[in-house]
Amino acid sequence: MSLRIHRGRIAQHKHDQLLREYLKQNLNELIQQKELIIDGRVKTQITTLDLPTLRYGEEATVLAQGQGGAGQGQGRGAGRDGGDEEVQALGGLLGGDHHGRELRVELDFDEFVRLAQEVLIDEIQLPPLHTVGRAGEVETDEMPELDDLDRIGLRPDLNLEETMLHSLLRSVRERGVLDYDVDVRQDGWYFVEDPVQYRNHRSLEVYVLDISGSMRGEYLALVRKTIFVLWYYLERRYPTNLRRYIVFQDAAAEKTRDDFFCVESSGGTHISSGFEKAVELLEGATEYDKFLFLFSDGETSSGDFDVAKRRYEDALSRFDLICYGHVNPGSRGIGGFSEYVQETARKYPNATFANLVDVGTIRAAMVDFLTFLTQERSDGHAGRLRTDH
Amino acid sequence: MGTLDAYAPIIDRIEALARARGLSFEPVYFRVTDSDELAEVASMGLPNRFIHWYWGGAYKELTTQQNKEVFSILELVLNTRPSHAFLRASNTYLQNVLVIAHVVGHVDFFANNHWYRKSNKNMLNEAELHARLIRHYEARFGKERIEKLLDALLTVATTVNAFERSPEARRRRLIYFLEEKAPLEDFERHLLQAVREEAEYFDLIQRTHIINEGWATFVEADLLREILDPREWISISVQLSSRPAPYTIGYSLFKAIKDGRGFDAALEVRTYYEDVMLIQEALSEDMIRRLDIFVYDPKEKKKSYDVQRVRDMLIEQKQFKGQPHVEVELGGNHRDLTLVHKDEERKLEPKRISLFLKAVHSLWRNPVRLRANGKVYTYDRRGFSST
Repeated sequence: MSLRIHRGRIAQHKHDQLLREYLKQNLNELIQQKELIIDGRVKTQITTLDLPTLRYGEEATVLAQGQGGAGQGQGRGAGRDGGDEEVQALGGLLGGDHHGRELRVELDFDEFVRLAQEVLIDEIQLPPLHTVGRAGEVETDEMPELDDLDRIGLRPDLNLEETMLHSLLRSVRERGVLDYDVDVRQDGWYFVEDPVQYRNHRSLEVYVLDISGSMRGEYLALVRKTIFVLWYYLERRYPTNLRRYIVFQDAAAEKTRDDFFCVESSGGTHISSGFEKAVELLEGATEYDKFLFLFSDGETSSGDFDVAKRRYEDALSRFDLICYGHVNPGSRGIGGFSEYVQETARKYPNATFANLVDVGTIRAAMVDFLTFLTQERSDGHAGRLRTDH
Repeated sequence: MGTLDAYAPIIDRIEALARARGLSFEPVYFRVTDSDELAEVASMGLPNRFIHWYWGGAYKELTTQQNKEVFSILELVLNTRPSHAFLRASNTYLQNVLVIAHVVGHVDFFANNHWYRKSNKNMLNEAELHARLIRHYEARFGKERIEKLLDALLTVATTVNAFERSPEARRRRLIYFLEEKAPLEDFERHLLQAVREEAEYFDLIQRTHIINEGWATFVEADLLREILDPREWISISVQLSSRPAPYTIGYSLFKAIKDGRGFDAALEVRTYYEDVMLIQEALSEDMIRRLDIFVYDPKEKKKSYDVQRVRDMLIEQKQFKGQPHVEVELGGNHRDLTLVHKDEERKLEPKRISLFLKAVHSLWRNPVRLRANGKVYTYDRRGFSST
């Protein structure tokens, strides 16, 4: 194995640490962007970290090259974002160093979520969950059998034979040498449980968002923050999370994850349609625990109120847990359908209600949610609904 | 890595062809390596340089660009004795043959160009020493303090000038002024000198970027025409003209010189010229049009192909690395440091000024002023202000 010191990676790590600090400070602003995910990535207004050298303002004249010249498509790092596609500033290229770049920092959505979780868990002051939920948390009589292989897993479960073989093949492919240069991130194969046998480690999570009201920045921020914190706990509880997304106004529609985080508000409100669609998605689901998370301002159309009640109760009999989040950034009262849910949730062991006003109330909602998970862990199941399994 | 053996015969052949044309150079050690190491050396500039977050950003960008195949590093060769050059393992044989011919052009330039005579050929070892010195100081004074100091030093390091010999003119450049006059502690001065030496090494490369890349590309083309069969040669010659600007500008200039005055004249230019001289003498209006280079005014969205303007701007870019021309105002009282932006017509980005002055203040310790944008910006112990 090669024992090279990866200076580039160490330097990148330092760079990313600084960048993370910077992003953390700006998280609140970032999370409110209407279109959070573009091509799977979160765009920011932050330019890449640079040394604070002096630079000309945007309006100063520059030396540039057009399409007619050579060298297009290369070294674009020097380009400036003037909206005029065919002009490429030559500053950095001719200077030969890296100064004066105008790159916007982009993050993988997953990376962004991890970062947001770090900030939020810290802000909410809930304990970070250290125990990993792969096999430990759902009570089961049988010892899990590690009889399958996956690219993602825990270090103690590393499958050496597959990993070494993969590293060898990679070395041949990339460098043309027969050499083991194991990089666990790239080559790692792990023993895992057969996911079919261990279906009790899987959750189905349905996220439903009311997009009828005015989805102002804070509204979006509260919903997204709550979802990211939920993910933090759910991912540690269930090795496999199946997530589905619904938005509704007059009617409900299933969305992809990326669309769910980029919706425009419109139309009237039929909360009933949200519940109805969510129940529809349960068709054929084999997951052990099924969760419904619905976010709304509660102002359903008057004609919909009774239908929504029935649909809510119907959903309660089908999901293991329904968390209803009343999104309330201005901290006004709780009215309309939200008021009804607040009352009703008390009567059902598998219903929770949260009045989402600020980070403090997200914390309260999480305490409710974690209580449910802990109870479930000690009972081995989620109460009365388990009988149908 | 044994695969270097595959290239031994062609390296010999290319070197022999080059010598037959009158080129001369020190021994070159080629090394076959992966994209990752190439990106690492390219982003840090030297393989064993001290580790700083700033190269981390460049490294990240290069690795993503290479993975997306948007851009790959063309060649990497160090101005050291002996010289070291890298061949990427995942390149095809033909691609690496191109790299070898190009590298031979560079090492010939390193060995013969007048401006490289006094260059530091021992930089590989010195950079290693600097890295050790920094680790030593980090252990003694704390990582955070040293990192902050390095940030400030790298910020002012862009004011070096490897060509400047007049002490008076050097003193107008910020880093030399600070080295001479700033109330630094010994370890701070050592680090300033280390950073300044490395910056001078890179400054020389930057000031000869066009002529050096142009010459290497010119040599590459000349040697390959002899080595490759006509069909290979055609595909290569198309590729040669689609490289980044310094390559194509420099290549066009050398081709024009050879076509007009012959190969020996080209050899002479590579010996005595640097970028500014080459641009002044050889950049013609016709060439500017062909390469589509112009002065662009983003406010008016106007292009100017005026040969004098393009030439002046190109030269100014070479002299100040595309950064604003800021000088130290000499004279005045000895406590305050005043910097002056010499090109009042072009406005400086205001957001960066306070950060820049803060960095300078951390080295100068006393009030620092900058005259620019029709204002006077000040950074002193109360912080940043402007009038």
